[in-house]
Amino acid sequence: MVSGIWTEKYRPSKFDEIVGQDSIVKRVESLVNSLNIPHLMFAGPAGIGKSTLALIVVKELFKETWKDNYLELNASDERGIQVVREKVKNFARTKALGNAPFKVIFLDEADALTPEAQQALRRTMENYSATCRFILSCNYSSKIIDPIQSRCVIFRFKLLERKDIEKRMNVIAEAENVKFEGGAMEMLYEGSEGDCRKAINILQSTAAISPTITSELISTILSNAKPKDIRTVLDYALAGDFQNSREKLLDIMLKQSISGQDIIKAIQKEIWELPVEPEIKVKLTEKTGESEFRIVEGSDPFIQLQALIASFVLAGMGKG
Amino acid sequence: MNWVEKYRPESFLEVKGQELAIEKLKKFLEEFTLGKLTRTAKKAAILHGPPGTGKTTLAYVVAKNRNAEIFELNASDLRNKAKLEEILRPAMEQQSLIKKGKIILVDEVDGISAVDRGGLSELMTLISLTPYPVIITANDVWGKKLAPLRKQAEVIQLKEINYSVTKEVLFDILRKEGLFIDNKIVTEIAVKAKGDLRAAINDIQSISKTDNLDEIEFDERNKETDIFNALKTVFKEEPNKKTLGVYNSVNMNLDEIMLWIEENIPLEYQGEELAKAYEALSRTDIFKRRIYRQQYWRFLVYENILLSYGISAAKKTPKTGFTSYKKPTRILKIWINNKRIAKRKSIAEKYALYAHVGKKRALHEFPLLVEIFKKPEVQKELKLNEEEIDYLQNKA
Repeated sequence: MVSGIWTEKYRPSKFDEIVGQDSIVKRVESLVNSLNIPHLMFAGPAGIGKSTLALIVVKELFKETWKDNYLELNASDERGIQVVREKVKNFARTKALGNAPFKVIFLDEADALTPEAQQALRRTMENYSATCRFILSCNYSSKIIDPIQSRCVIFRFKLLERKDIEKRMNVIAEAENVKFEGGAMEMLYEGSEGDCRKAINILQSTAAISPTITSELISTILSNAKPKDIRTVLDYALAGDFQNSREKLLDIMLKQSISGQDIIKAIQKEIWELPVEPEIKVKLTEKTGESEFRIVEGSDPFIQLQALIASFVLAGMGKG
Repeated sequence: MNWVEKYRPESFLEVKGQELAIEKLKKFLEEFTLGKLTRTAKKAAILHGPPGTGKTTLAYVVAKNRNAEIFELNASDLRNKAKLEEILRPAMEQQSLIKKGKIILVDEVDGISAVDRGGLSELMTLISLTPYPVIITANDVWGKKLAPLRKQAEVIQLKEINYSVTKEVLFDILRKEGLFIDNKIVTEIAVKAKGDLRAAINDIQSISKTDNLDEIEFDERNKETDIFNALKTVFKEEPNKKTLGVYNSVNMNLDEIMLWIEENIPLEYQGEELAKAYEALSRTDIFKRRIYRQQYWRFLVYENILLSYGISAAKKTPKTGFTSYKKPTRILKIWINNKRIAKRKSIAEKYALYAHVGKKRALHEFPLLVEIFKKPEVQKELKLNEEEIDYLQNKA
């Protein structure tokens, strides 16, 4: 069945369909051709083909039995390493189906695991190394502990270039009978932030409204997905109204399901639009950076964000 | 066993000194039951009066009288997501599914609603969502902020218990316990209680075990500071060594206390003080995470110091005046919001599995994907159920 979701419909299913990662694809392909693979680690930002390549690997390895020999887990979804271990155990316990000598476990967003959980994962990888191969994906390989890195062959994916994404968009646009107008393609690329999955989703969402893609339509779709009203939070704070600022902040985080880190990102961008002196902008940016660091280090993002808007209140009083 | 519990009234006859309130509450529930058909009756009643006058007791008695179950919500439940879920889920379900009558009891509402309308609006939502009568207890109901709640609810006053009634109750208990205490002492306890029957019963129980009655200090009862007193000490007084131990006698863990501090900082501090206090709170939070990650519990010392002395030292001079501290409402807000976005979450989860992305990312990208989810063929592909499709068509 052909999928109605374009990211699935147009997901590359063969090695040579993957764009922008030529040398990686070649090396992985030759490993697969030898019918034996080591543990693999795919590192790089979102939407550049890590999951896609993992899927192609298992399809090429196992052909029609791939679904039986493949387990996909997302580390940021599973509650703790215990769940991961349990699932891995149950999957790895049985022999691979067909002619395959092993099964493959794809652990997406492996860098979401804490270092302690990664230690546990390392034991699991060792225990089942006879029957299982792991493919780990992560945004930053530096967030993966050394013992795991040393057990994997690491592939660092490149950020997709504009021409790569445009190429893909044009293929899809032609097949789906949609047309780009004016600067639409450029805006689409900007909005995607180099994430091909996101680019395709923007394209499909826009095409659902009109087959003629204009930059105006794209910006409408994009603004739906951005944290809104961050400016209101900051305006309240600068005016000295901490209570309303705090209330609004919590409201945004809850209603729009936005993480603390995304709020920080939005605040950092918004600082440049604020009616304050250049010197204050620098100070606020520094505070924001410190706050982002603490969100990563701390346990409750909302507390860290409140501390940040409290310093915006100070800045509003001219005491930054 | 605690005498307050042991002798808590179970029927209207046993509730002393609140005849008028009983009549009003009975009438409210009768009208609620009738009004259900016409949708005109008030859905909530506020029982208000000083501590120890029988507000909670009365709610339980009326529930027993009507053979209804009580769902009790108190301060700690509002901060406990799982508990709230457990208590409210059955209560939020459709009426037809439920057989036995239920009453929702929200205890001590003063705190969550005293200063801004935030906590109050959560409660109003609760009242409008639930098919059951809501009984609310409060010490003081006449503040300006409770006005919207007063409009929605039947206001029922409980009076301070007259000292002679208190004495009567105390003697009744002593008789049942087979004890004798001099009339003079019982009278003194009843007078000192100032209408707080619970305090009187606690006092009489504590002295019943003492041999040397001359040395009794009735004020011992107040030694255990509650969270409100702790907040007062931290926010109002000059920080000193005693500040460090301010949370020792509070029956809560530091995580809970953190939520109280967070909620109340803006009520006491402004400007630089506000920023300093949040700085201390921010650092507390980092130590909290370090304990969690490294299981190094000595960090708790720093958490405690920052949260007590650190918050206290954020001010320049001691503060005076009365502040009505708020109960933390963040957990309740998160809970209500989760209800609101439950469908969005379940759609995102189905998509996540299908499109090889994490559930969190899928939920986050939902606004970008919603136009795609509206396509019938995609809905079929993701096996969305009717409720989810309905959500996409009408609410998303």
